[in-house]
Amino acid sequence: MTELRSIFTDEFVNLLTKISKEGIENASKGFAGMLGKELTVKSSSAKLVKLLDIPKMLGGPEDETVAIYLKTEGGIAGQMMLVMPCEKAFGLVDMIMGEPIGTTTVLGKMEKSALQELGNITGTYFLNYVSDNTGRSVRPTPPAVMVDMCAAILDIVIATAGIENEEVLMFDAEFVQGDLCTEIQFWVIPDPQTILAYGAK
Amino acid sequence: METSVGVGLGEIAVSQNCEEILVAFGLGSCVGIGAYDPVKGIAGLLHAVLPEPLNGSDLSSTKYVGNGIYKLFEEMISKGAVKERLIIRIAGGANMLTSPGLSKTFDIGTRNIAMALKVLENQRMKIVSQNVGGNTGRTFRIYVADGKMTIRMIGEKETVF
Repeated sequence: MTELRSIFTDEFVNLLTKISKEGIENASKGFAGMLGKELTVKSSSAKLVKLLDIPKMLGGPEDETVAIYLKTEGGIAGQMMLVMPCEKAFGLVDMIMGEPIGTTTVLGKMEKSALQELGNITGTYFLNYVSDNTGRSVRPTPPAVMVDMCAAILDIVIATAGIENEEVLMFDAEFVQGDLCTEIQFWVIPDPQTILAYGAK
Repeated sequence: METSVGVGLGEIAVSQNCEEILVAFGLGSCVGIGAYDPVKGIAGLLHAVLPEPLNGSDLSSTKYVGNGIYKLFEEMISKGAVKERLIIRIAGGANMLTSPGLSKTFDIGTRNIAMALKVLENQRMKIVSQNVGGNTGRTFRIYVADGKMTIRMIGEKETVF
């Protein structure tokens, strides 16, 4: 089995960093457009992460968390996720629906649908950039919205990526929205086989 | 005073300290296998992530259900537990994604449960109770003092199973 680390030349890391930074900037435009609010992208990076360390990247394992999750298919397979504490998701729903912050207190069908659309647009903006700059066709699956313990949600990423690998490449960023005073994590985890194939060229 | 001992992804914890509580927080598709020897007061908890390794993966890792169960028993026996006396309960193995088109792809929870049942059956170990499947994460606790095993789901109280 080829380790991801073995193909990480300086040149390849620079390419990945550029794709992640500019792709995430593009994604943030989609996100901000959906909210109708200004958005700042903080700490955008591309890095190798040990799978078993992923749960330590967020808050407490039992914290009630909301995730909007998509898979990517086509020339670049992978996973994308927006992750945030539950109360911040309520705030996002309020912004999307044009309601005062504090209006939403539960995530019903309509609220989840709004978050799905947010995930869809953010993911599509990211993928459009990647597709334009790699020449590969890539499309997102319909998004899923999950509300559960933080650790339980992260199991999806870990189990999906961890079947064949101990480490994954992760593009991550924090979207900071002034009214929410919080960071919303945006993660992109390309399928390791995709990265290996791409890096070998 | 009781102390919680976190059991992370792919980890095993074994304890005979009656002040300790072994905890696997937020099991989603992961499966927790708890075992307790009531005579020796030895408790063990495995937090397994995947059903089985693919070719070329690290076969010795306890993140896999089969190897994890084997290592759990081995470690408990090395501390004096008797395999035939072990009270075994399992929890977890949820399908966290319910979105059409995604849920079938991620049936790892179901596969984790199936593998745990198969391995335990092969080892002729009886499962006393199980709280598995569904679409919700669970926190699994074992109280070393008396072997009580509990689960808690989000927004719910801790319950013995």
